[in-house]
Amino acid sequence: MDSHIIKLHKVNFYYGQTQALTDISMNFGQNRVTALIGPSGCGKSTLLRLLNRMNDLIDGTKVEGEILFEGRNIYAPNIDPVEIRRKVGMVFQKPNPFPKTIYNNISYGPKLTGVTVADMDSLVEQSLRQAVLWDEVKDILNKSAMNLSGGQQQRLCIARALAMKPDVLLMDEPTSALDPISTAKIEELIEELKKDYTIIIVTHNMQQAARISDETAFFYLGNLVEYNKTEKIFTNPDVKQTEDYITGRFG
Amino acid sequence: MRWRYLKQSVFFGLVSASALIITLVLGGIIFYIITNGYSVISLDFITKPPTDSMTKGGIMPAIIGTIYLTVGAIAIGLPFGIASAIYLTEYARQGKIVRIIKIGINCLAGVPSVVFGLFGLGFFVIFLKFGSSILAGSLTLGFLILPTIIGASEEALKSVPQTFREASLSLGVSKWQTIYRIVLPNALPGILTGSILGIGRAAGETAPIMFTAAAFFTAKLPSSIFDEVMALPYHIYVLATAGTNIEATRPIQFGTVLVLVGVVLGIDLIAIIIRGYMRRKKRW
Repeated sequence: MDSHIIKLHKVNFYYGQTQALTDISMNFGQNRVTALIGPSGCGKSTLLRLLNRMNDLIDGTKVEGEILFEGRNIYAPNIDPVEIRRKVGMVFQKPNPFPKTIYNNISYGPKLTGVTVADMDSLVEQSLRQAVLWDEVKDILNKSAMNLSGGQQQRLCIARALAMKPDVLLMDEPTSALDPISTAKIEELIEELKKDYTIIIVTHNMQQAARISDETAFFYLGNLVEYNKTEKIFTNPDVKQTEDYITGRFG
Repeated sequence: MRWRYLKQSVFFGLVSASALIITLVLGGIIFYIITNGYSVISLDFITKPPTDSMTKGGIMPAIIGTIYLTVGAIAIGLPFGIASAIYLTEYARQGKIVRIIKIGINCLAGVPSVVFGLFGLGFFVIFLKFGSSILAGSLTLGFLILPTIIGASEEALKSVPQTFREASLSLGVSKWQTIYRIVLPNALPGILTGSILGIGRAAGETAPIMFTAAAFFTAKLPSSIFDEVMALPYHIYVLATAGTNIEATRPIQFGTVLVLVGVVLGIDLIAIIIRGYMRRKKRW
């Protein structure tokens, strides 16, 4: 882990009076897959949503500390969160395509963010190919995205995020609403995407974290308990709590 | 066990009876209007102005006037209403101030329409010097239906899944673009559904236009928004209370009522068709 694209320094986060994250300091490696694991309510999704300022949408939240993305503090007052979100894409727990055509789902972001796209058709094709969806949808690009299966919808959402050419892709339990075959496809896809993107994924599925990630961070009650190479976490964790969680003794 | 079934059938009977009574009353009113009014309906009735102190002739100027006033009320109420609802649901921080504004809007919905009429008279007709005109009447009617439209729009905006907003914002699309491109198109069918109620009310109200727009009689059609117009609800009121020969105008009164009901249903129908068209495109 030489180059870190995102660095957190002593980050605290509050929903109103409730502290959701305590004193988190950690770095995310470029072109790595980092898994965030932990029981429900441990703060892992909150942390993920801090990285593209999606928590801004909730009234009464407060951030302390520094989150550096490519060297800039994304919570500095002169930073436009819209700008950050173009660089840090997100895929959500439930597939959430727009009720538009497949084509327009992909072209929506680039079109509206003022990026000059010389050839929208090829950008759409390229994004869908990257998400390994092109062959399945190339003949129905003008059909509604709502007709696709759940797994296809999720890959469409990934393609939609990729069309913005982000540097980082945040994934919030992207396979929890999918069947095993679709899940396997998404996992293969993550493996492939890692060459070009930094991926941070929240997952409840221990095997998934072990299979696809390079590093794993274990959270408990808003604290970062252990952060290490995935292999190390799943074979010989330093902290007893981590071991208990991974072996299913609690959580 | 028996007892439970009995209770069930009693309650089922009661709710069915209520539905039946409502339908019968509505059907009765419509039947009464049609049987009394259909005899005067003719092409001349809807294309000619009144003659002979309104005991003969048609009601064309009143039909045109009502259409102008209703369209004007929509043109004013819909944009303001939708804009207010967008502010309240999408932008304003949910808290005390928004709660107070919402209570205010609900109170506005309960204000008697004659109060709106007096406000229109004082503010638009006299203070802003619009005179008794289509403009003043449309503004007054627009304000009257504002609470209905705001309420309907708020509900429709809230029913758009939060995940759509999140998806759009996460792509680095700005908040306004998200509202304009994603939230609003998906909320429009719902907004129109609710607004139909307000629009129907605008077309049928008498009190708000009495002092602000309606003429007792004018055979000529308006040439600008500063002209007075005849309007169906006010025309009915005039025929029934202030004519020189009220008995002689009885059939015309019923005919006018029938036409008014037809115009309101027609406006509703247009909105329903637009809504149906947009709904077919909406799926989530």
